[in-house]
Amino acid sequence: MNKTPMKLSLVVAAVSLSLTACLPNEKQDAKVTINKNPFPSTYKVLPQQNILFTNATVLIGTGERLDNADVLIMDGKIKQVGIDLTATDVKTIDAQGKWITPGIIDVHSHLGVYPSPGVESHADGNEMTSPNTSEVWAEHSIWPQDPGFQAARAGGITTLQILPGSANLFGGRGVTLRNVPSHTMQGMKFIDAPYGLKMACGENPKRVYGKRKQTPSTRMGNVAGYRAAWTEATEYKRAWNKYDSDYVAGKNPQAPVRDLELDTLMGVLDGEILIHNHCYKAEEMVVMIDIGKEFNYHSGTFHHGIEAYKIADKLAENANCVAMWPDWWGFKMEAYDMIEENVAMVDAVRNSCAIVHSDSSTTIQRLNQEAGKVLYRANDNGFNLKAEDAIKWITANAAKSLGINDKTGSLEAGKNADVVLWNSNPFSVYAQAEQVFVDGAKVYDRFDEKYQAKSDFMLGQE
Amino acid sequence: MKRLKQIKLNKLNLTLNSLMKVSAVALTLVGGAVQAKSMAIINATVYTVASQGVLEQATVIIDQGKITEIYSKQNTPENIQADETIDAKGRILTPGFIGTMNALGLVEVGAVARTQDGSDDKADITFDASLAFNPKSTLIAYTRKGGITSNIVAPNGGDKLFAGQTFAVDLSGEFTSIIEKQNAVLVYLGSESKGSRAQRLQALDHKFADAQKVLAKQANKKDDKDKEAKEPKRDEQVINALLAGDKPLLAYADRATDLLALLALKKKYGLDLILVSASDAVLVVDEIAAANVPVILSSIENLPSSFDSLHASLTNMATLAKAGVKVILAPKGGAHNLNQLRFDAGIAVANGLPKADALSALTANVADVFKLNSGRIVVGKNADLVLWSADPFELSTKVDSMWINGIQVSTKSRQDALRDRYTGKTNMPRAYSK
Repeated sequence: MNKTPMKLSLVVAAVSLSLTACLPNEKQDAKVTINKNPFPSTYKVLPQQNILFTNATVLIGTGERLDNADVLIMDGKIKQVGIDLTATDVKTIDAQGKWITPGIIDVHSHLGVYPSPGVESHADGNEMTSPNTSEVWAEHSIWPQDPGFQAARAGGITTLQILPGSANLFGGRGVTLRNVPSHTMQGMKFIDAPYGLKMACGENPKRVYGKRKQTPSTRMGNVAGYRAAWTEATEYKRAWNKYDSDYVAGKNPQAPVRDLELDTLMGVLDGEILIHNHCYKAEEMVVMIDIGKEFNYHSGTFHHGIEAYKIADKLAENANCVAMWPDWWGFKMEAYDMIEENVAMVDAVRNSCAIVHSDSSTTIQRLNQEAGKVLYRANDNGFNLKAEDAIKWITANAAKSLGINDKTGSLEAGKNADVVLWNSNPFSVYAQAEQVFVDGAKVYDRFDEKYQAKSDFMLGQE
Repeated sequence: MKRLKQIKLNKLNLTLNSLMKVSAVALTLVGGAVQAKSMAIINATVYTVASQGVLEQATVIIDQGKITEIYSKQNTPENIQADETIDAKGRILTPGFIGTMNALGLVEVGAVARTQDGSDDKADITFDASLAFNPKSTLIAYTRKGGITSNIVAPNGGDKLFAGQTFAVDLSGEFTSIIEKQNAVLVYLGSESKGSRAQRLQALDHKFADAQKVLAKQANKKDDKDKEAKEPKRDEQVINALLAGDKPLLAYADRATDLLALLALKKKYGLDLILVSASDAVLVVDEIAAANVPVILSSIENLPSSFDSLHASLTNMATLAKAGVKVILAPKGGAHNLNQLRFDAGIAVANGLPKADALSALTANVADVFKLNSGRIVVGKNADLVLWSADPFELSTKVDSMWINGIQVSTKSRQDALRDRYTGKTNMPRAYSK
């Protein structure tokens, strides 16, 4: 243990030596590269099962529904979905009267970073010390023993993005997790999922920093803050690009000084990190779209888009996903114009990407019912939506927002076998997930305690 | 056949109208928000939440804001006398749901301080937030979408031991909404970020002990003149009402030790105690049941949000009800989404609460605990009624029609106006669509 600092200082000395000796046309120093994955996933699939579910009502996640259908999962993947499937050496589960959907995905969660119990010692979800904290990563705050993960699993959640809070213009990186029990964050990390960058519009940043008599204290201050940061990030990216091209040209350039904050923003400019922007209001979302165009990055997914229905066409046109609540409102001025058909109105436009999210340790446990409320209220008021449409809001569209739609989010052959077996139509208030699978491994069973994980924290509590 | 019967009824009603008018005029002079016409809801599946249970193809007659007759299918007379007839077509009619423990009418926008009237640093046991109740708040029409016809509004209070008093309102949206002011005293107990939970429990005990001493002294005074000499202060009067059991004490607490301490206070002072939140109630369920103390709790609170609530669970409501505890559904959030109570009831049912108990938790139990003349479809009760498109707890169901004090109320809210504005077709800016 004691040796580590010694080793580090030796490395630092060696690097500074090589830098001072740097001259054009001399022998090239080792290329300085940024390790983009310093906290790699150690997620291991739980024991897999090959299963043929028979006679279920199946919602594929792509807008399709099959009745009396079978779902075959093998080696952790969706093998086939269809009528009267046969397979050998598989376990058969009779799903007569039950429903099967893809694993539910929540694009907006603070499980682990604002865990239960809500003690100060674990309130690690928001580094509220500067309007731009792009250098912090939510994964470094995750307490994997949050009992909320298990509760969410019982609600069919197989994948979720953990985001930092919304006090800052740039809150830091979000991370996408598999909802499997683990005592390390890395053990839950979704392999090869892109990072997210949490941004925030509106009331929160201006309130938090304005109260401290610092910028931003207004919405125009917010926008100045975003633009200043992207300007700096653009320069940073240019410096690295120049370093790379000079190096390739055989020169021995000096690498730019690493800046963790700008690394994240550069990741966005490079298209590797996806924006997840807490942004309620129509006029602000449209400004954020323009800022994306100004600095040549995609403005990503808008979260809590209470007023998205007012600009549904613009959002689809610019390929923004929008994550919404069905009906939360009124807690702030920017949440005053809620309508219960918001998700449906966003969804109704061609090329849209409407999502139902939770931002809550309670509603993450029933995102199916959250989507159900939208489905029925919209149909009460002139829409003609079906269960197979509503499921997309919590599966395929969510996967698209997180950049993992090639791996999960639907029951198409070849995708990960993330599957939920429901006791009834999942859009019923009485619906419950009976069995939940991640990569073909059972992670939850309502009727078998063996598959009901318990956090360290809850162990031995009387 | 049924249609013929209805036409016949309507004809009859025309002749009855002239007779009815006299009393109707008299009523408007006295009551204000009382219906003028009598009404028959026929062919309804009536959930009485009373001894009659569920009545199929039943008829409910409303007159002068009250339920005046209930006829089961077998007992329905040939000629029903009512000004207006509504064919429920077999759909479910329930008592209007009753919300509790929220700031409806005391808040418009949570983070806009000037729209918040539920708390005040100076608020004490006498705090009457009903003076601030706004029946025109946009939350009220939105709440009606959940079939909620009345509500127990709870202030948040201030720095003092007691947070003030709750009050009962109907959701008519009229200036006459307040049913009863100051109908229960609120106290928040449990873990403290600074200091000990013991302090408040002790202070509560001392309050009652001291007041009892004064009362005893008063009673011992021989001279009647002396007794009248000193009128108790306003706060003392409230404490005395609690000691007399005239006013309930609503106590927020979660940990089992706090719940037991409250049960002990109830026993010691003869309080009319109601527990709120009570996550640990399942640990002391027998004691609560034996003390006949109702519990107001959320059915969807299932995480150990603090060390006080390690036993929160989706099945708690079912466990309490099974043990014979009178349970009332509390909203998990604030007033804005109060209309979801019916879905919380559905979730409670999915987790083991019998449907009838879930319905009581939204109606009769609340009425019993807060002494409201509603919550059941029984002759003489206020005609607070909801006709549902289907199962009231189901997500796909909506309110078909609803009545408060016999007057039909709309479920149209500001949200509907916004939706219509942005779904309509127009070449002009949306601001012109009204």
